[in-house]
Amino acid sequence: MIRVEGVTKTFDSNTVLEDISTTINQGEVVAVIGPSGSGKSTFLRCLNLLEKPSSGSIWLNNSEITNLTNKLEVREQVGMVFQHFHLFPHKTVLDNVSYAPQKVKKLKTNEAEETATQLINKVGLGDKLDAYPNRLSGGQKQRVAIARALAMEPAVMLFDEPTSALDPEMVKEVLDVMKDLAQTGMTMVVVTHEMNFAREVADRVLFLDEGKLMEEGPPTTFFNSPTTDRAKGFLDKIL
Amino acid sequence: MNLDFSQIVPYIPFILEGIWVTLKFVSMSIIVGFILGILLALCKITKVPFLKKFADVYTSIFRGTPLILQLMIIYFAVPQLTGYDIPEFLTAVLAFGLNSAAYVSEIIRAGIMAVDKGQTEAAEALGVPYKPMMLNIILPQAIKNILPALMNEFITLTKESAIVSTIGYLDLMRRAQIVGADIYRNFEPLLLAGFIYWVMVYLMTQIGKVVERKLRYSD
Repeated sequence: MIRVEGVTKTFDSNTVLEDISTTINQGEVVAVIGPSGSGKSTFLRCLNLLEKPSSGSIWLNNSEITNLTNKLEVREQVGMVFQHFHLFPHKTVLDNVSYAPQKVKKLKTNEAEETATQLINKVGLGDKLDAYPNRLSGGQKQRVAIARALAMEPAVMLFDEPTSALDPEMVKEVLDVMKDLAQTGMTMVVVTHEMNFAREVADRVLFLDEGKLMEEGPPTTFFNSPTTDRAKGFLDKIL
Repeated sequence: MNLDFSQIVPYIPFILEGIWVTLKFVSMSIIVGFILGILLALCKITKVPFLKKFADVYTSIFRGTPLILQLMIIYFAVPQLTGYDIPEFLTAVLAFGLNSAAYVSEIIRAGIMAVDKGQTEAAEALGVPYKPMMLNIILPQAIKNILPALMNEFITLTKESAIVSTIGYLDLMRRAQIVGADIYRNFEPLLLAGFIYWVMVYLMTQIGKVVERKLRYSD
């Protein structure tokens, strides 16, 4: 589904990603973990071209997207959820979710709102349709953000530390929505610090450190018997 | 004290007509300035060097020279150059509109840059093209934040509009001067004109407050 070949990203003289290669298969849930500043978010942002790789190539469904001038086509197929939600503050929950399908997929207002309402119900916020984001808790905002990304019917969902900005008691409600989503067979790439989530839900774990892909494998193997010293050190610190 | 308002009574309709004349070209100038200002602001934030340069030079010229000079150039120099005898109304709208655009563009540019970068990213990540993103996502948030500064610019424009009297356009100010010359008393008509300007600005301020409150619905 997504193939990453030798992707390197530098900002000026600073190398953030170094020669990353991996493949994300259809229906797979991949957790990307690693210390802060290891390039996890940059890696994720390369997958929907919010960052352009300095070298290497990215393939989506067997076509190369790295140098596309029309990035919008890629982004239609790749949904993204941000750490800080980035809901549109001047739009209601319903408008937040139904906006992009109307503007991008050219759906009629009532069709878009119908789908949006279903999605909002699915993330458990059916009673908040007409509320503005400022009235919602962090967990609720993030669930709306997930619904907003899903409304575009993406083939892949990217999550950039979706629970890192949340109060502890709200983490679960967001993770539950993500678990449900994983069970529907959605392809997901999740940058996260939630090791339990990675262990329970992910099919594969990528461990990044200092811009390099140090280790990858199924969560049981990674968490129980990491092979690199870096990964061991990292797991020792957080578990 | 030598004050006698009774003498200007017959001239009051003549002066009041100036309100309409002033409002007519001021509102046109505000619209021209606002739309042009948005376009210039967009030029300033693009990555296209030519557009950026153009907008910067434009702002520099219109902010760096006196408005009255711009007015005079359009009114006296355009006919000399093109032979087209430009009417006062068009002169006023052009001079004030073009001048205001320079100021408005700076205000809007600041407003756009103050909108969280995450908003652009969220819209981009959803595949929303540039134009709807600007129109539906970024500008509404920018304008909400800069409304007080914009209102300030519109008020300044309304008051400064009095300098069109220098090209003989029969606006509120010019009418007050004519009446003063007619009755050999300047204080009363000028005071009346001043009062009318103040009322206009006061009303604008109130409208601004209402709009500001309306835009705060999502807070």
